[in-house]
Amino acid sequence: MYSILIVDDEVSIRTMLLDYLEGTYEVITAENGEAALALCEQRPFDMVISDINMPGIKGPQLLAEIRRLYPATHTVLITAYNVDDYVRLARRSGVSNIIPKTSPFNFGELDALVSGLLSGNIFGLARYMQPQHYTLLGTFEIRSSHDAKDVREAAVELLTEKLGAAGDMRLILDEIVTNAVYHAPAFPDGTEKYEEFSDVTLAPGEYIHLECGHDGEKYGISIADDMGRLTKETVLFKIERQMSGEGVLDDSGRGLHMSRLFSDRMIINIAPKKRTEVILINYFSHKYRGYKPLYINEL
Amino acid sequence: MIVLVSGILAASLTACGWLFFVYRKEKNKAGYFERALDAKNQRHDTTITEKITLSKKQLETAFDAITDLICALDSDLRITRVNKSYAAFVGVPIPKLLGRHCWEAFWSRAEPCDHCPAQMTFATGKPVLKHQIKMPDKDRPRYFTVATYPVLDAAGKPQNVIEHIRDSTDEKVILEQLIRSEKLASIGTMTAGIAHEMINPLSGISGTAGNMLQMPGKYGLNEKGVARVTAILDASSRASAIVKDLLHLSRKEDGTSMLTDVNSLVLKAVEAVRLKGFPSLEHKINLDTALARVLCDPTKIQQVIINLVTNAVQSVLEKKSNLAREHRSFSGLILISTQTEDDKVRVDISDNGTGVADDIKGKIFDPFFTTRPPGEGTGLGLSICQKIVDEHQGRIFFESTESLTTFSLLLPAYRPRPESTQEPA
Repeated sequence: MYSILIVDDEVSIRTMLLDYLEGTYEVITAENGEAALALCEQRPFDMVISDINMPGIKGPQLLAEIRRLYPATHTVLITAYNVDDYVRLARRSGVSNIIPKTSPFNFGELDALVSGLLSGNIFGLARYMQPQHYTLLGTFEIRSSHDAKDVREAAVELLTEKLGAAGDMRLILDEIVTNAVYHAPAFPDGTEKYEEFSDVTLAPGEYIHLECGHDGEKYGISIADDMGRLTKETVLFKIERQMSGEGVLDDSGRGLHMSRLFSDRMIINIAPKKRTEVILINYFSHKYRGYKPLYINEL
Repeated sequence: MIVLVSGILAASLTACGWLFFVYRKEKNKAGYFERALDAKNQRHDTTITEKITLSKKQLETAFDAITDLICALDSDLRITRVNKSYAAFVGVPIPKLLGRHCWEAFWSRAEPCDHCPAQMTFATGKPVLKHQIKMPDKDRPRYFTVATYPVLDAAGKPQNVIEHIRDSTDEKVILEQLIRSEKLASIGTMTAGIAHEMINPLSGISGTAGNMLQMPGKYGLNEKGVARVTAILDASSRASAIVKDLLHLSRKEDGTSMLTDVNSLVLKAVEAVRLKGFPSLEHKINLDTALARVLCDPTKIQQVIINLVTNAVQSVLEKKSNLAREHRSFSGLILISTQTEDDKVRVDISDNGTGVADDIKGKIFDPFFTTRPPGEGTGLGLSICQKIVDEHQGRIFFESTESLTTFSLLLPAYRPRPESTQEPA
């Protein structure tokens, strides 16, 4: 059984997470960073979930220390504040997942994140949907730049036809698919293979897979390639530059940033040199309205 | 400074008037011999009188030209001189003011004001500066800043006091508005802080209640327990909704909306397009220096402007290369202007490039639409621009003729809500 350490000075959050996760995992709680470090000395944990603002050692500092001492431990931040304000801090601490404390708390999302990181099984839209209600609407494959446009439009039409909604998927799918077609394929030396917006026929290993589906509560699209060239560090760097406004002149990163802005959830899953997946999710209702999480999973 | 200068001016004026008065009085008192001597010196005397009269006139003109209110008081607080502004303010002609008590004539009181600065100056022989007096009024009270300066006799005793009165009601109101808006701003910051501190336990409460309803057995909950926990969950949901609204109101939720000078965004956008390596083209930038500010996400709006400027530049470059192929010369031109239009801020970006062909005029805001040749990048896409502008309750539109294409951006100008005229309690 995987072990999880929960660190939060707010007792109701500690017990809430404990109650939900215990049974599936071995869960221990600590009310501050110092106590957490003492517990880690006694035994290793597979994952530490820590609040950001606590008396004494702050969450990012604590997790940076834990990553230094115990590189195998997965680290996740949780906060009641605006997640976007902490992306820079998180990046410096090597943390790429920040859960917002919403009310009601989004347990489904917590489940997907924790089980994904611990099992290493992070890919696929279905993992982020409620299993008992999930309906796969369609899968598509992009084999050329010519396909790209058709597939994007077909996916959006499918969502609109079946669900009567596609949110801003129409706008952001363009950005994500363009990235996948032109920026994922590369020569062994790392230079990009195709010129942006040129006519391209992809090689079999470069195909891009799209799937879309819903679970009654939300709908989503997954865009995946089999190259895994994107890194967590790159994504965090680019998103953070766009968020702070420093990246306004950057040639890249804007697409990812806009996609995160215009969807309710953007989840990026990376298996280095194997697979990159961007999942875009919109909720039907405003139940989980509030701050957006940061979910970047790199194996 | 003005107060001091006018005070000194008033003091010297009265001193001069005094001198003239004493001179005349002494002259009248003079005996025959002196009168004879006077006649002898008639010529000389006339010159002095003329000079004094002229000097008096100059000072009186200056005295009356001062818009602040000035009066001279005797030790009984009776008015001996006033300037025109003073009389105009009270609404009584100057002659009818002379000899009246200042507290009755100006302040409409039955007795001298408490802590009267003129009395203080008579007592100490020293000026009193920046004394604040509130005049109650049924509509709105008025505030005055009063300064008093002594006119000393040879023995150093105050003979008169010059009183300088400035209506500082407007300054006071502005100051109060400032304090109020600062208070409001700090209340906003505090609200956001409190809201965050509330989210923390509320998330725990509703999450725990959710757990209890999901797994009643684990908590040993019976039917009544489930009903009560349901009530807790409902109550915490309502509380969270209020907190979310508060955060939304304080506009801290996205943390990106701020009062923005669109002119600076335009300049940065032009800079950005230059940095991207476009050869410099002839362009004219005409910014409205009094442009109203806009409450917006500056990063997003700047993206929109960069996009429009980039489009304009590319359109000009494309036309230039098209015509060059036909060995024709072409001088491209980009015009960028900002202006306040009613309650909107307008940005126009015009170019004399290729223009928007009639057959694509209806399509350019569609997602996936591009006329760009391969390898030139997408920019943001006009569809996302439109989305951003919609989010800001703005409008983006264009007009394209053969000679000129103009993309216009309209954003709501920020207007602070008018302050109520009611005084704060």
